[in-house]
Amino acid sequence: MSRTLRTIGLALTVVAILVYTGYLAVYVVYAVNLFRWPFDYDQGEGFELNDAILFSQGQWPYRDNGVYPFYASNYPPLFRLLIVPLLPIFGPRLVAGRLLSFVATLVTAATIAVIVRRKTGGWSIPALSGLAFLASNYVYLIGPLCRAHMTMVMFETLAIAFIAEFQHPRHGQRNLILGLVLLLCAGYVKQMAVFTVAAALGYVFLRDIKKAVVSGLALAAVAGAIFWMLNVATAGQWWVNIIQANVNDYEYADTVFLFRQWFRLHALFVLLAAGYLIYELFWDRLSAYSLWFFFALGTGALSGKWGAGFGYFTTAVAAACLASGLALGRLVTGSWKLEVGGRKSLFAIRPLSAALRPSLAVLIPLLYLLQAPRMLHLPTSGPVFGPIARVLGVTDALVQGDCATFQYHDAIGYTQLGHLLTPEDYAAGEEILNYVRTADGPVFSEEAMFTLLAGKPVVTNPTQLLNLYNNGLLDTSEMIAMIERQEFGLVIFRAQFYPHPVLEAIGQNYTPVEHICMNGFYYHMLWPKRMLERQ
Amino acid sequence: MVTKRQLGVFVVIVGLLVTAGTVGVDLVGAGAWSGFGPLQWIGIGVGLASLLVGAILIRLGNRPA
Repeated sequence: MSRTLRTIGLALTVVAILVYTGYLAVYVVYAVNLFRWPFDYDQGEGFELNDAILFSQGQWPYRDNGVYPFYASNYPPLFRLLIVPLLPIFGPRLVAGRLLSFVATLVTAATIAVIVRRKTGGWSIPALSGLAFLASNYVYLIGPLCRAHMTMVMFETLAIAFIAEFQHPRHGQRNLILGLVLLLCAGYVKQMAVFTVAAALGYVFLRDIKKAVVSGLALAAVAGAIFWMLNVATAGQWWVNIIQANVNDYEYADTVFLFRQWFRLHALFVLLAAGYLIYELFWDRLSAYSLWFFFALGTGALSGKWGAGFGYFTTAVAAACLASGLALGRLVTGSWKLEVGGRKSLFAIRPLSAALRPSLAVLIPLLYLLQAPRMLHLPTSGPVFGPIARVLGVTDALVQGDCATFQYHDAIGYTQLGHLLTPEDYAAGEEILNYVRTADGPVFSEEAMFTLLAGKPVVTNPTQLLNLYNNGLLDTSEMIAMIERQEFGLVIFRAQFYPHPVLEAIGQNYTPVEHICMNGFYYHMLWPKRMLERQ
Repeated sequence: MVTKRQLGVFVVIVGLLVTAGTVGVDLVGAGAWSGFGPLQWIGIGVGLASLLVGAILIRLGNRPA
């Protein structure tokens, strides 16, 4: 009986690994497709690259937004600084940041696999835990973008890996220091790493209060000193752009929606991680991994902030994949301690019968296989993906953009990301670029790559301007005066995220001349009225 | 080292603060909703769950948390 179960289990394990490797293949295809795409795929990518370019030129991206070119960054510097050494290799192209972010996701997945392997042994559960992270819709969608988020998740995962071993008999001190340095790195990639900092220090506090206090003070001192120096060096613009500009409207309904979506897509990992947290809370000692999962929910709770979104759940996805792998690994090794205080205990539960253990060989890969279709995402056309999509019955369940239907299916439903670029997109990009190159003056563009590729200055970061305007921190007078003088040779709108008075001034002084569909969005070209009068 | 009991006391305090804060916002007139808003129901749920978890942890005594 047990031999039959083992054989079935082995077959199911091979199938599960093949399925999750298939997700990895989809991810690699998407990433390579994006590496070639020279324009913004996600609004904001070009601005992150522009920050790196400014750093490489010895300039700060934390500037006064009321002064031409009305540009500033609202994120900390580390991701941008990591791009800088790649610029001489790739040039000022998005592939530098996209490759960095993609590699960060691979490192995160590998770290998850290594932790599960070290803690529970075996190969299949560690491999599936790491692959599960890369199979997540959220990781797939934003992993290969030139955005800071996944690099933060990588530093968070590495930090938790080291902090979890701070009581190692030989390398405890080294692990703690390395963990703290990695936490510092995560925080200086993106501010929201603060929840992982709380989880890590909380874990140290539970085990060694004195070390936790010393570590917390040391981390706060170093992070605070860097913060202060950056603020002084940028004449206070660091504080305005990093802190004040990030106080945005919060819509709780968006958070509830995203929590439900996150659970729907990752049900197995979330349930197992939550179960593992409850188990450790009441029957064992809390681990850094369970605490991290719990605190990562706090990051998710911020997803209703304007400008946030599902990306805020990627830390929780990493933590869930890790904790679920540990939970299953411990089931296999039989190291769950389910009795507390003997038979009279309120929590006395009979240990898992050894007789049931062989069935885990079948049950565990089966669970991973049942979870796999919940995250389904793949291109639906082409010689390989077309037939697969037909077999899976998703050929007609496509994602609809503003002006194009993407040959792509995602269990998320509507998403602006994930699809592959088409020859029509490249042609449209060149058409827009032609407008930029021939513009009579600087270009007021909602995306940075058009101007960067044309060798023109990047003017404005629209969402940052809107954030500052909504917080009463933006003086639009110089910007509006330039618009009224029609000094910009071209305006490019996509989402019209600019503050209302700026949009109004553009409406009065610029005229739409063409709407170009690229990457599923309409890009609106506006010329100054003076040009039309001249004609 | 922190014990289950100490952690339980902390969680109970957090639960009480969340519950009191959730109810208390109406007293100072904060929030966009008249009466009890949806965020307050979420807050009450989190607060009561914390109280329950904290109470169980306190019963677990001096085992390491």
